[in-house]
Amino acid sequence: MYRVMLIDDEESARKLMRASINWEELDMEVVGEAASGIEAINVIDDMKPDIAFVDISMPFMNGIEFTELATKRYPNLIIIIMTAIDQFEYARKCVSLPVFEYMLKPIVRAEVTATLASAKAKLDAEHVKNEALPEPENTNKIEASTIDQIKMYIESNYTDSKLNLTSVAQYFGFSASYLSRKFKQETGKNFVEYLTECRMNAAMKLAAANIKMFKASDEVGIPDPNYFGRCFKKYAGISYSEYVSMKNLKD
Amino acid sequence: MRITKKIKRVKNIKNSLSFKLSMVFVGIAGVLILSSMIFIFVIVNRERKEYAEREAENVLVTLSASIRSDIDYYRNVSRLIEYDSRVKEFLKAPSSEVMRSIQYSETARIGTQDYLNITEGVDSVFIFRKDLQFMTTLVNRSDYRFDYARQVQPDWLDPLIELKGGAFLSLNGNGVIHKSDGKTLLSISRAVYDNVSQKHTGYMFMNITSSFLEDEISQLRPDDICVLTTDGIYLAGNNELAKYLEGFNIAEDITHRNISVPGTKLMLSAIKLEGLPIVLLYAIREERHLLPMELLYVIILLPLIYFICVFLAGIFIRKNITSPVFELTSEINKNSKGDSLVRIEREFPKNEIGMIKDTYNNMVTHTQELWNRLLENEQTLQSSQMRVLQEQIKPHFLYNSLETIGYLAVDAGAEKVHSALETLGSFYRNFLSKGDREIPLKRELMIIKDYLSLQKLRYGDILNDEYDIAPDTEECLIPKLILQPLVENSIYHGIRMKGEKGTIKISSWLKDKELHITVRDTGIGMTDEQIEKVLSTEKTDNTDEDGISASGLGSSFGLWGTIERIRCYCNKDDVVKITSEPGEYTEVEIIINTDTKNWRTVNVQSNADR
Repeated sequence: MYRVMLIDDEESARKLMRASINWEELDMEVVGEAASGIEAINVIDDMKPDIAFVDISMPFMNGIEFTELATKRYPNLIIIIMTAIDQFEYARKCVSLPVFEYMLKPIVRAEVTATLASAKAKLDAEHVKNEALPEPENTNKIEASTIDQIKMYIESNYTDSKLNLTSVAQYFGFSASYLSRKFKQETGKNFVEYLTECRMNAAMKLAAANIKMFKASDEVGIPDPNYFGRCFKKYAGISYSEYVSMKNLKD
Repeated sequence: MRITKKIKRVKNIKNSLSFKLSMVFVGIAGVLILSSMIFIFVIVNRERKEYAEREAENVLVTLSASIRSDIDYYRNVSRLIEYDSRVKEFLKAPSSEVMRSIQYSETARIGTQDYLNITEGVDSVFIFRKDLQFMTTLVNRSDYRFDYARQVQPDWLDPLIELKGGAFLSLNGNGVIHKSDGKTLLSISRAVYDNVSQKHTGYMFMNITSSFLEDEISQLRPDDICVLTTDGIYLAGNNELAKYLEGFNIAEDITHRNISVPGTKLMLSAIKLEGLPIVLLYAIREERHLLPMELLYVIILLPLIYFICVFLAGIFIRKNITSPVFELTSEINKNSKGDSLVRIEREFPKNEIGMIKDTYNNMVTHTQELWNRLLENEQTLQSSQMRVLQEQIKPHFLYNSLETIGYLAVDAGAEKVHSALETLGSFYRNFLSKGDREIPLKRELMIIKDYLSLQKLRYGDILNDEYDIAPDTEECLIPKLILQPLVENSIYHGIRMKGEKGTIKISSWLKDKELHITVRDTGIGMTDEQIEKVLSTEKTDNTDEDGISASGLGSSFGLWGTIERIRCYCNKDDVVKITSEPGEYTEVEIIINTDTKNWRTVNVQSNADR
């Protein structure tokens, strides 16, 4: 079962993809969606997709920027561009990136299915190759002090919207999965939870200072206010605007 | 929009300047050569005549002088004989003595013989006494005949007496002494007088044969000369010529006469020797009218020089006029082929031809300015129209909306609606395809398949579509949307008009680097006039710019416009074939050369804006 992630700002487009493609027949499942590049960066480490459908025209971080980032951090990820905008400039940029396929909306099921089948073949081939090689052992052992360093690194860098588990792991020279496991072991918290906690705490302070949400979201490193709003509500239990009015009423 | 300058070619070579010039040169050369020939002929003829006359004069004068000196010599000999004492004795002796004895005559004969021994040519000497007793001295043994009848005539010796001792030349002893063989004798005739007493003592005839004349002639041209007596009696030379003496007005000056004889022409010249009964005739044959070599050279050289002059003049005119005009024309003609006007950059001499070039270049510049202004206006108009159109369409909005509606359909379980929307989306995506002008054949086929499945949705089960596509043609580039209008035409003007279920079959193959595509429908077909109209390169009058037909036949404008686009793409006219049988089928075949993909570069800019 290969894991597929859908990154598109239009909900109906994501839902149509989910509904119209016969995923099971392809031995695939849709493991998650993201409505923007920012959201995708934040959730991609949890979803661990093999294949990502990426729309180009998305707010805050478009598909091209996301692809540039993702191809560095996830060299094995198969990226399929899926866009309604048929412009030469986009196509040219995608050609310079290791994009698996450049597809045009509106989707034609037959075309999408054919593309997925060839993606599957590629993944199968890599899988066989990886199985032949033994799992590389991590030579660097993570110690408690290292986790502290990482925590400090997160606290001083969370405003960077592109920060995520993989980028930190690469920065410190560990594999992402190993770091994720060790981090949970040492701190009792998920890496993503910890990062979000940092950002939300900062956001709460900003909310207390009556800062508008779009400004706050940008300052804490989640420049997509829609995603920021969802994160905030999930963390604080109430929406950012409610939190702002509550805090300011109290004072 | 396209400027086609058709420069009328010189269709008939007879109208071309160079041809006319050549004809003029040939004419001039002909006239010059002809006139020079006539001129030379006149001069040569005149010169030839004078030359011949001079030659005749030389011959005749030389000959007459020789003959005269010969006769003078004989005359002197006769005088010596006259004064010989033995001859005088014979003449002075009394008649009776002479009658009685032959002593006198014998002695005189010996005396005469002494002189004749040292003198050639003398045939005989006759000496008569006053009583007409005579003696003879014969050099050659030959017989003589005396004309006694003449001898007794009283005036026989009168001419001798009249001269009182002077000698004259008579013939045959003044008509008395004849040679038996008929040869004419020239006789130095004189009356003899005693040199002391000055008494008339007798007569003497010294007869000379014509052999001395033969000797003189043989040194010249014996065949062309005839010596005659004034009475026309032949003496020496070519006897053939004797008959031509008739008709001559004999004088002591030379006279000439031209006569024709079978085979040739003769120029005859005659002279009478002064004081002598002798006429000389000289004939020059035409072929012997030899010309000086210099004249011959002139005759050959003159036409040659004329020819060279004309040739040089021809080269000059070709180099300076005809060739530059041809070059200029070919340069200008280049513009009639291309779609853009080009100035002539080639150098031409700074003369009248150069002026034509400059004027033409000025015209090109001016035309280009006008053309560019027109083009600019057109482009501004088109691009603003395009912008409005694009604003209206916003294809990605359409696509996204189709996706959304598609999801709604899926969500509501309307799978057919989703399918239709998917086809429509796919059709428009390919139909608009980025504004590319050329797309692969397989892409065009996708458009057609989507189009046909949508049409099937609209009209139900009215047609089948079949495809026979050679795999190596799938990636061939063709101008976008050339098959779709053909298929559309097949449905609306072919199959639907027939009212029964039809088939559209599309085939493609490669042959000799040419891509062949056929669209065949089993519709009502087309008549020959319709085919001709559709294939004509001129837009028919009853269709306006937008292709909206004014009459029924004009409804094939979509087809006409498509064919015109293919012609533009291939840059030639015979790229589409239509075969049809009314009521049975129509087959349109397109042939595209895969090597050259040159659009006729008209309005490239504005097309790319689309």
